[in-house]
Amino acid sequence: MTPTGQDILVRVRDLRFAFGPRVIYDGVDIDIPRGKVTAIMGPSGTGKTTLLRLIGGQWRPQAGSVQFDGADVHKQSRAQLFEMRKRMGMLFQNGALLTDLTVFENVAFPLREHSGLPESMIRDVVLMKLEAVGLRGAAALYPEQISGGMARRVALARAVALEPALVMYDEPFTGQDPISMGVLMRLVRTLNEALGLTSILVSHDVEEVLSISDYAYVVAGGKVLERGTPEAIRTSQSPMVRQFLDGKPDGPVAFNYKTSRDYATDLLGGAAA
Amino acid sequence: MKLVGIVSEFLRGLGEATLFLFTMIAALPAALLRPRLVVQQIYSIGMLSLIIVAISGSFIGAVLALQGYRTLAQFGASSALGVVVAFGVIRELGPVVTALLFAGRAGSSLAAEIGLMKATDQLSGMEMMAVDPIKRVIAPRFLAGLIAMPLLASIFSLMAIGVAGGHLVGVVMLGVDDGSYWSQIHSGLHPHDIIESLIKSMVFGVAVNWIALYQGYHAAPNSEGVARATTSTVVVSSLVVLALDFILTAFMFR
Ligand SMILES: Nc1ncnc2c1ncn2[C@@H]1O[C@H](COP(=O)(O)OP(=O)(O)OP(=O)(O)O)[C@@H](O)[C@H]1O
Ligand SMILES: [Mg+2]
Repeated sequence: MTPTGQDILVRVRDLRFAFGPRVIYDGVDIDIPRGKVTAIMGPSGTGKTTLLRLIGGQWRPQAGSVQFDGADVHKQSRAQLFEMRKRMGMLFQNGALLTDLTVFENVAFPLREHSGLPESMIRDVVLMKLEAVGLRGAAALYPEQISGGMARRVALARAVALEPALVMYDEPFTGQDPISMGVLMRLVRTLNEALGLTSILVSHDVEEVLSISDYAYVVAGGKVLERGTPEAIRTSQSPMVRQFLDGKPDGPVAFNYKTSRDYATDLLGGAAA
Repeated sequence: MKLVGIVSEFLRGLGEATLFLFTMIAALPAALLRPRLVVQQIYSIGMLSLIIVAISGSFIGAVLALQGYRTLAQFGASSALGVVVAFGVIRELGPVVTALLFAGRAGSSLAAEIGLMKATDQLSGMEMMAVDPIKRVIAPRFLAGLIAMPLLASIFSLMAIGVAGGHLVGVVMLGVDDGSYWSQIHSGLHPHDIIESLIKSMVFGVAVNWIALYQGYHAAPNSEGVARATTSTVVVSSLVVLALDFILTAFMFR
């Protein structure tokens, strides 16, 4: 079942994108329904981060369109795009915290830039967000003093600080221990409910992600392989999706980065040349 | 064929850098609205370079005094030592050496800092938070560099002429009369010498900071890119400073 007939916040149509000769997206349609958690899954290097950057308007597709709340992201002026981005939160894969600011100041950053709230309220909001990700105690630390997993949690707190309409989580669960993973999963879900957010969740942790999302897409090789409810994905009979879900190295999806030379030629190439 | 490629690549880079300069200048009012950021940057840039600028100023003033004294003494004109040192420092060595030191110390670290911010997605993270990194990160640093350079060059000159270098060697060690050291400077040096010196260091300030920030902002987002940005900042800005110095001198001291 696809999320048709629903209120769609982000609508991707016939998206084509390539880095030079390397095609990342070859005509994909993706709908992100409003108020839901939508998972984007796919093998490493398939272009999930790229998709988030295209939605955020950082990169420009060669063809096709991305609509956010009815407006084409790539047809906005810079000022309009910035207005649009105030309604998007993004958690970068590596956190992307500002290294010259403390954890507290990092979460306060979007508030200070855009909210115009008085200092006392900023403080309260920041502490509440940090408490939610279990890092209120780390408020005074600098990014270099916290671990990668902690940094990602701070980035999560920062991404939702302005209570945007859309939050894009790029691999929020990597590097988390089972406890914080459980907490974060519940947090993504509760934030979505409590603040009425729309969430896009990019992750490799198939089972966990499916358990908290309303819809899911599996992308690979520049195409959408499967879309639907978590149940539909789990029971998919598509061999490519099965291979991805069951984690088999051999199958229709190539585990290796594409190359035109075969392995034997490459290995023997040095001697032959 | 290859030469055409190199030339067109150079022109493309030059165009890109020029565009970058205009974007920075357009963002300067935004930087003025954040005086705290600018002051912070002046402090950190100034602190980076202050000690080496002061020490280099002292040594260069001292060497000028030694060399100048040898020549002047032959003509019995050693009382003119002060003005010889002052001309050399104010007109040339103050602005030029300060700019070279600034490029090596502050410029390289500026390029590395910005390059690293780019490589770790901090700049695109800002963009995604609807904050323009040119306004928030680049422009305050540019402005701070513009302010810091003439200040540092003045400190260099003070150290070289008065506090330690020329005065220490000339008056204290070689026995030039203290009164004539200063009175010669006073009567020999004109206000326009100082103004031209300040103009030089402001121009060098624009050049070095522009190059450093451009290199950092356009670095390839990986460790190799950051390393390359740092190196080329020092190499390119040193060459540009020396070339500009020639051009400015040719125009100003005719
Ligand atoms: N700046 C770039 N220039 C050229 N190619 C790039 C660039 N960024 C990414 N790529 C390529 O685009 C492809 C998709 O990258 P992307 O980061 O979107 O993958 P991903 O699905 O997020 O992978 P992962 O799960 O490992 O994070 C990769 O194969 C990568 O080699
Ligand atoms: Mg990724």
